[in-house]
Amino acid sequence: MTTAMTCTRLTIFTVAGVLIQIIGLSIFVFGFFPVKPTLSGVSGRESYRNPFCDSAPTSNESEIHPEKLRLLYQELSGISSKYDRLILMVIDGLPAEFVLGKDGQPPWKAWKESMPYTQSLLANGDAIGYHAKAAPPTVTMPRLKAMVSGAIGGFLDVAFNFNTQALLDDNLLGQFFRIGWKMVMLGDETWLKLFPGLFMRHDGVSSFFVKDTVQVDRNVSRHLPDEFNSHDWNLLILHYLGLDHVGHTGGRNSPLMASKLKEMDDVVRTMHLRAMVDRRHDQGQTLLIVVSDHGMTENGNHGGSSYEETDSLMLFIGLSSNSSDYAAATNNVAFQVDLAPTLALLFGVPIPKNNVGVLVPGTLSSLRDYEQLKALELNSWQLLRLMQAQIPSSSFVGFSCNCFLDGTCEGLGSDISECSGDREKQLICLFRNADVLHGIWKSKKLTESSSAMEDFSRALDAYNVFLKTASEWLASKTTEKPVFLLGLGVSAMLLSCFVCVTLFLSLLKEVYHEPKDRVYSLTCLLNLEEVFILVVLLISVISMGSSSMVEEEHYIWHFMVSTFYLLLLLKTAKSFNLSTGLNILRDHKIGSIFLLLISGRLLRGWRQGGVNWTYLPDISKWLEQVGSGYVKWIQLISNFLVIGLGLFTLFRTGSKRKSVCILAFGFSTCGFLILLHAWRYQDDMFADYGATVTAKLIYMFLSLSAIGAALVLPWSMLNKDKSFLAEAGDCLYLIGSAYILCWCLLQLLLQQPINSGAILLLLIQILAISSLSSKDLQVKEWIEIAALYYMGMAGHFALGNSNTLATIDVAGAFIGISSHSTILSGILMFMITYASPLLFLLSLVMYIGAKLRNQSHSHGDTNLGQALKLTLGFPCLVPLCISSILLTAYTAVLLLMRNHLFVWSVFSPKYLYVCATTLCTYIGVCIVAVTVTYTFSVTTFLRSNATTRQRLVDS
Amino acid sequence: MEESNISSSTSSSIVPIPKTRERKAMKEAKKKKKPESSTGVSSDVPISSLGAAFVHLITGLSLAVGFWVARNKLSVDLVSDPSLTLFLLWSIEFPAVGLKMLAFLVLLSALLIYESYFRALGRSILGLISGAFMNTLGAVALGAPIGMQYLPKTIHWSFLMSVFTFVPATAVFGASWTDWHRVFASMKTSGNTEYMILVPAYGAIIGGWFGAWPMPLDWERPWQEWPICVCYGAIGGYVVGLINEFHFVLTFDLIARLREDNRAEFLLA
Repeated sequence: MTTAMTCTRLTIFTVAGVLIQIIGLSIFVFGFFPVKPTLSGVSGRESYRNPFCDSAPTSNESEIHPEKLRLLYQELSGISSKYDRLILMVIDGLPAEFVLGKDGQPPWKAWKESMPYTQSLLANGDAIGYHAKAAPPTVTMPRLKAMVSGAIGGFLDVAFNFNTQALLDDNLLGQFFRIGWKMVMLGDETWLKLFPGLFMRHDGVSSFFVKDTVQVDRNVSRHLPDEFNSHDWNLLILHYLGLDHVGHTGGRNSPLMASKLKEMDDVVRTMHLRAMVDRRHDQGQTLLIVVSDHGMTENGNHGGSSYEETDSLMLFIGLSSNSSDYAAATNNVAFQVDLAPTLALLFGVPIPKNNVGVLVPGTLSSLRDYEQLKALELNSWQLLRLMQAQIPSSSFVGFSCNCFLDGTCEGLGSDISECSGDREKQLICLFRNADVLHGIWKSKKLTESSSAMEDFSRALDAYNVFLKTASEWLASKTTEKPVFLLGLGVSAMLLSCFVCVTLFLSLLKEVYHEPKDRVYSLTCLLNLEEVFILVVLLISVISMGSSSMVEEEHYIWHFMVSTFYLLLLLKTAKSFNLSTGLNILRDHKIGSIFLLLISGRLLRGWRQGGVNWTYLPDISKWLEQVGSGYVKWIQLISNFLVIGLGLFTLFRTGSKRKSVCILAFGFSTCGFLILLHAWRYQDDMFADYGATVTAKLIYMFLSLSAIGAALVLPWSMLNKDKSFLAEAGDCLYLIGSAYILCWCLLQLLLQQPINSGAILLLLIQILAISSLSSKDLQVKEWIEIAALYYMGMAGHFALGNSNTLATIDVAGAFIGISSHSTILSGILMFMITYASPLLFLLSLVMYIGAKLRNQSHSHGDTNLGQALKLTLGFPCLVPLCISSILLTAYTAVLLLMRNHLFVWSVFSPKYLYVCATTLCTYIGVCIVAVTVTYTFSVTTFLRSNATTRQRLVDS
Repeated sequence: MEESNISSSTSSSIVPIPKTRERKAMKEAKKKKKPESSTGVSSDVPISSLGAAFVHLITGLSLAVGFWVARNKLSVDLVSDPSLTLFLLWSIEFPAVGLKMLAFLVLLSALLIYESYFRALGRSILGLISGAFMNTLGAVALGAPIGMQYLPKTIHWSFLMSVFTFVPATAVFGASWTDWHRVFASMKTSGNTEYMILVPAYGAIIGGWFGAWPMPLDWERPWQEWPICVCYGAIGGYVVGLINEFHFVLTFDLIARLREDNRAEFLLA
């Protein structure tokens, strides 16, 4: 690489580096995040046969009449099905703790009293409840998939949560459909997207209006009387979204929660009385299952893997279990995926192929003993089939059809043994033990031996041990990774990181060593701030390796940024000279630094983020406790101050042109509209038409102002008295402040009301640091830009974000959208989450403008490319370098941690965040580059035009 | 660190002649156990290694005494009762540091007049309080929790930090801005007294900074609370600073002596 790099080459190299990075990242993501190991096809009648028996070529089952198929399954399984109807009631986001309590304690009084009927069912022994542990990510669609297919989905399912697609894998609903069940679905339309065409009747409601907590459930319940009167259905699915919406808007302790629980309890009572008790016995029995797809945190969010989020409910009503002990009915633990095999066996259909769940113990107690063992055996066979796909077949040498029963297995004794060795061998051995014990029991049963009871429980235990171990092993197996793809992705990322850093270093060399006359010394090369910036990078890379540091990342950024401010203070003190007196310039400088320190500390205390210490007091909690009126006032004040500060920045250039005035007017209007929106519509639970229109108007005004400013301002800035760079600098400064103001106003609209104070503080920080850098801080340009990036990260956490998916503000993503659009709400969500990093990246435009205005005298007339390179080089390369280093390092960390216990709950969400941060950096840098290039070229064009005209006039 | 090392050694080698005289005067004074050479006092005077060793021992030992008293007499430690322990530590360390600085000033014979002792004492107490204030501000800026249950801990921690950082400097410099600026901001020390002020102070600050790192980890150990591990870090940094400074003072003395000998030989030749 030559030392004198032209602008074009720099651009080409940078773009190439970014492209390589994107490609490498996508390769890595698709390699790392598992697309679950699926057996293709659908379980049929072969699932009732031992997997080692050579299955006869099965005739095409789809040709068999559904009713015949049902009878065939029943005959093959040998389990009599007691129930003919199933009601599956899904209460979205209901934590099991609300119904069953926690750690053996009954639930809170408020919750318990809200659900009297359900509690009485539990106390009578008519119902049995389970804490069904859900796998992360705890969002609706993957959880529904897990419940009906028994398979733990891939992590990327979250990404598709807003874009539900039909579930093509083997699942319960498909099996029910095959045996001719008639199904009715009322509730969340996710079901309709997952299973198009399966339901006889359906009424889908959208989970789109998060603030609607009443109507969404009424739309479900209004059909219930009709459904109870018509006896044509076998499966009734009710998916109530209201409780999740209550959680999203008000958290666990929302005042609406009690009435919502009461409403759910009423539904349970109605169903129990109408559909089960009132039904005549000759009509068969109905089983009612109340489940929740996931729990919720204290704030009502979900997505992560904390106990509160994964603690979902599984409540069986009508199982006629004989226990009437309240504790026994509530202190049970299961996994969410266990629902699939349990239902399959209870209703006599084959277990879905990719199921990793096991039969829920306690649900079979009404069956006869041989049926219980048969059910366990069927479950074991299904898991064994799944294992066969993943264990080399050599491990199964010696197994053949029914050899345990006949005692003819080669090399394997027919008596049970202690199982040891590696996991695969152990699993096979456990299965063998269970099978042998089952055989023994069968033979004793024939001879009516007296010890049959003991053998029965031994066989039962052996099956349960095998099922549990196999299920765990299979669940952990979902993390198998293709090494080649991973290697390719990582090396591409490394390459791009290398390219970025090399470009940065060469630019650094060029910029700071061009004037050779400057005294070169080692101590000047790396001073304290530069070392510190590099140390921050190093520390954040190292801290990524620790799960608790990932959870509590906000501490690192706040600590580092505050330390940087203190270093700035030290630096200023160093250059402070008593002999020249307390000149005002220095005072401003120190004042700015103190402003930075104070606002940084306030931001740190604004939201207590992270995972482990969220209960600690912070400013936002305090404000909410004092009363919602104060939050409103904060919102009002910060709105006014943001507009005031923005206008002050706009007019600080001293230009009173028409365009600037129009811009200022536009922003004031926006500010007024936002105030109106906040004042009138915030408390409404329903998305009002007026609110949507107002929000749309605000979007329109803001985008018009920002884009208009960027497009028009360069054309209206011709001033011959100033040099080229100063003119462009003026223009960029105005555009930059317009960007910032626009972004802040947008965030005031979108963010939660409590965050408006934090937005104001962020704006103050930007203004303080820009006033600092305009006063010759004696800090190199790239350090300031890196510091801006770090401040953006600290602000990101100050706005209440964390590295768990639960803190993403879903409610705000629907402001001003009138119809469900995945892309639009996704963009809004991204804007809300990355408010602060993008704000600081956008402030780079203003920063460049201020720099140019200051140093315009020092630069002579240079050509456009050179000027662009010098002004844009660092602002583009530094953020790109930092984000690419962080991305590459974190990719390596993720690879190293792939077997870590928290890989899915801590490291993977963080990886999604890192990817999104990289994307955010791309967007920000792109906007900066385009704006600056456009302004420069327009200015050049205007000046050349002016000079030619001048020449024409002269001649 | 390197920079200050170089600058101080060069400064000492530039002005060797008057110093040797003073050194001799010092030695004589020490024999008489009475500081006499008072003319041309500068803080540049190298002091004997024995004296340095002695005064260093005071501060190091008093820390140990503080811990011993806390553990054996009152049966508390930093984890069980941070406020009380910190109070014990700084109230024992403060006189020790004051004594150390006084001893240095005496050894340097910078202080002769009896009243100056009192003035130095007053200055140290003022320095202690203002230093505690500054340290509180710094800690809060870096994220120390605010709240009534943390207030006593923060205050006592600040007093300890003040003893480590501000008290020695105020005892020597007083309110002289130029000295403060030269030593703390520019890190240009001239002579080992200033080095002695600078190194343990920065050691304590940097140690405390690093000591804050384990706080967000979820190990659930009692010592992760504010300000316990920061205290450990600061004390550790301070002790490292003391050792480093002690080592420096010894070698500096040695180097200076060697240089002087060489120069003397050179001059003689």
